[in-house]
Amino acid sequence: MGRSSMQDLLIRIDLSGGKAAPWAVPEQLKGYLGGMGYGTKILVDEVAPQTDPLSAENKLILTVGPLTGTTAPMHPQSCIVTKSPLTGTILNSYAGGFLGAEIRFAGLDGLILEGAAPEWTLLVIEDERVSFHSAEAVLGKGTAETEGYLKERFGPDVRTLSIGRAGEKGVAMASIFSETRTFGRGGAGAVLGSKRVKAIAVRGSRGVEVARPEEFALLVRENMELLKTACAEEYNLVGMFSRVGTGAGMGLVNGRGALATRNHIFGSFDGSTKIDGYAYADRFYTRAVACYGCPVHCGMLHKFTRTDGSSSWLRGPEYETMYSLGSDLLNADPVVLAEANQICEEYGMDTLTTGVTVAWALEMAESGMLEEPGLDLKFGSSGAILGLLRKIGEREGIGDLLARGPKGAAEACGGEMDRFMQIKNSGFAAWMPRRMKGTGLAFATSNRGACHKRAPIGAEITGQIDMDAYEGKAALVKEIQDRVNAIFTLVSCRFHEFVTPPEIYPRFVRAATDREISLEEFLAVGERIWNLERLFNIGAGLGRADDRLPDRCYQPVQGDASEAAVMDRARFERMLDEYYRLRGWDEQGFPAPQKLEELDIPEYARLGAR
Amino acid sequence: MPIGFDIDRNLCTECLRCLAACSLTKLGRIQPSLARIAVKRQWPEIPEIRVCRFDDCPGQPCIDSCPVEAIARDAQGLVLIDGDTCTGCRACVEACPYGAIRMEPGGSEVAYKCDFCGGSPACVPECATGALARKGGS
Repeated sequence: MGRSSMQDLLIRIDLSGGKAAPWAVPEQLKGYLGGMGYGTKILVDEVAPQTDPLSAENKLILTVGPLTGTTAPMHPQSCIVTKSPLTGTILNSYAGGFLGAEIRFAGLDGLILEGAAPEWTLLVIEDERVSFHSAEAVLGKGTAETEGYLKERFGPDVRTLSIGRAGEKGVAMASIFSETRTFGRGGAGAVLGSKRVKAIAVRGSRGVEVARPEEFALLVRENMELLKTACAEEYNLVGMFSRVGTGAGMGLVNGRGALATRNHIFGSFDGSTKIDGYAYADRFYTRAVACYGCPVHCGMLHKFTRTDGSSSWLRGPEYETMYSLGSDLLNADPVVLAEANQICEEYGMDTLTTGVTVAWALEMAESGMLEEPGLDLKFGSSGAILGLLRKIGEREGIGDLLARGPKGAAEACGGEMDRFMQIKNSGFAAWMPRRMKGTGLAFATSNRGACHKRAPIGAEITGQIDMDAYEGKAALVKEIQDRVNAIFTLVSCRFHEFVTPPEIYPRFVRAATDREISLEEFLAVGERIWNLERLFNIGAGLGRADDRLPDRCYQPVQGDASEAAVMDRARFERMLDEYYRLRGWDEQGFPAPQKLEELDIPEYARLGAR
Repeated sequence: MPIGFDIDRNLCTECLRCLAACSLTKLGRIQPSLARIAVKRQWPEIPEIRVCRFDDCPGQPCIDSCPVEAIARDAQGLVLIDGDTCTGCRACVEACPYGAIRMEPGGSEVAYKCDFCGGSPACVPECATGALARKGGS
């Protein structure tokens, strides 16, 4: 018998007071398993839904799960939960790489960041010891430069996260980077910036064990075999990711008329073959790089020549970015796309909401509603794309207005919100509700807004199910949302369950922690978290009116394969009604008391009290 | 048959599964920084893989560098450090052309290195890309 992988220990870091103290995980938290479960429960217990996200009262919780740092494949990620300054909702955001494993090796299940530091700060976590250092030397620096500085100053073996200037300046879609991996969505970078934390370095010396080593080793072998088979298959999505990265699927999406193009007016893009994963692999020197312990190695590091002739590297772009800084902006130039991605990395910005914001700005400029001196604001213009991105990161000129996020930008610019491809103020991920009805419902009902992580994308885009059908999608979306929330308590990579059957998760939990849990109970944890998030969001003032698609989704798509595809408003509303019913919520989307009883969280009804 | 590793660092994805397996085998817990193999990050360039090359190492200078004869090659070809004899002088660390010998952290510093797991290295089956393969052994 070994020791449980979970250490039942987090560190509370009081930034206002410059103090840190270990915090033993209370018994009632343990049922939430870890990762997103811990983050959500702690946030809803400790942060009132109406809290200003950029105030010292908000908290940022960084967690790992029972499989983090172990040899279980595809579990490198860590999870951030906070209240989002972009959406005003509870946010969960993930990054791969090596930070999660290092937190685990430090003997920790996570960190809770509270308050706000009086001066810009670097945090160094060595096992349970926390030290505070001035961030003066890297203030204003990009994420890669900042993290390079941390390695120089605190040792090459520290693992890091950082924000760029966007996070420092409170850009609503600022993200947090970790060695090129990104906590992308929801503006977590602005929250960290509001706490005046520029970066964190972690070094662990404790290592990790599991409760049942033999059982665990057998499970790892079983899982590795599944992945090995998947990676060897020509048409397996994970296998394709393994060969050319997440951009492998762009041709398929384009062929199905579901590649959002020119601010979602079109469903296909002529230039897609110039910017997809195969194009990058063909045209540029490419090296596959993995996250901790991952045999899939979907990260593709490219060496390319920039437009100014200098030589440069980029890990990426990922598929979602090929849409948001590529097809959606009519940008078919892989070098411009790579440079746009680099700007987002340097400033620390979510490529999705930022790209969608640029698309909206270009469309507004076309209609004469918006202009910026020195920039020719046209779709496909490299000057416009790169220029707007820099201005958003700098909060300069029109960029200062666009940096406020969709709603703030539309109000400040006087532009039309209806043409902003956003839900709950979060920019669209790379998918088209008109073409994929279940994904549309998933986007609309997402607790963090337009979220692709809990949508039936694979089943719809590959044609396993009819992508244009409405029937059965409500049940499917609920099932996926609950299941993905459950696996995010383990902070599994989203791609893990593409090839691994869900039955493996309770077995992994038992082998790692000695906790017995059935698959049914495991999935119920996911549903419990979903409802906690919903209650928090209701408390923050959201409701059915926020589970809506932008008007463009009710207008026909233009373009080849999906010409005239449209979301029918009445049928969407019926799908939403059915979804609420299946969730045990009333017609306004409020969880009914008996549902909260059933999920064993009746006391949380107070969160949603109006 | 000579033993050693067949290494193609061009194929290394830096996933560190080899380090995890090594530390798990040798320490009973995963702590990659204490593994007997190291993947030296040179991002964005290809990393170095630091591990003993055994019979592929010309002259095996670590053996002669040791002033107390704590390092020897056995009949199977395994080059091993006798931790009880080692005085922690670091001569072998300096002598190793592959940066494959390290000092144990903590008070009682002795040198340690890969022992090929006695013939079947735990790291090799973990490598998904074939960057690390075994020559000889069982």
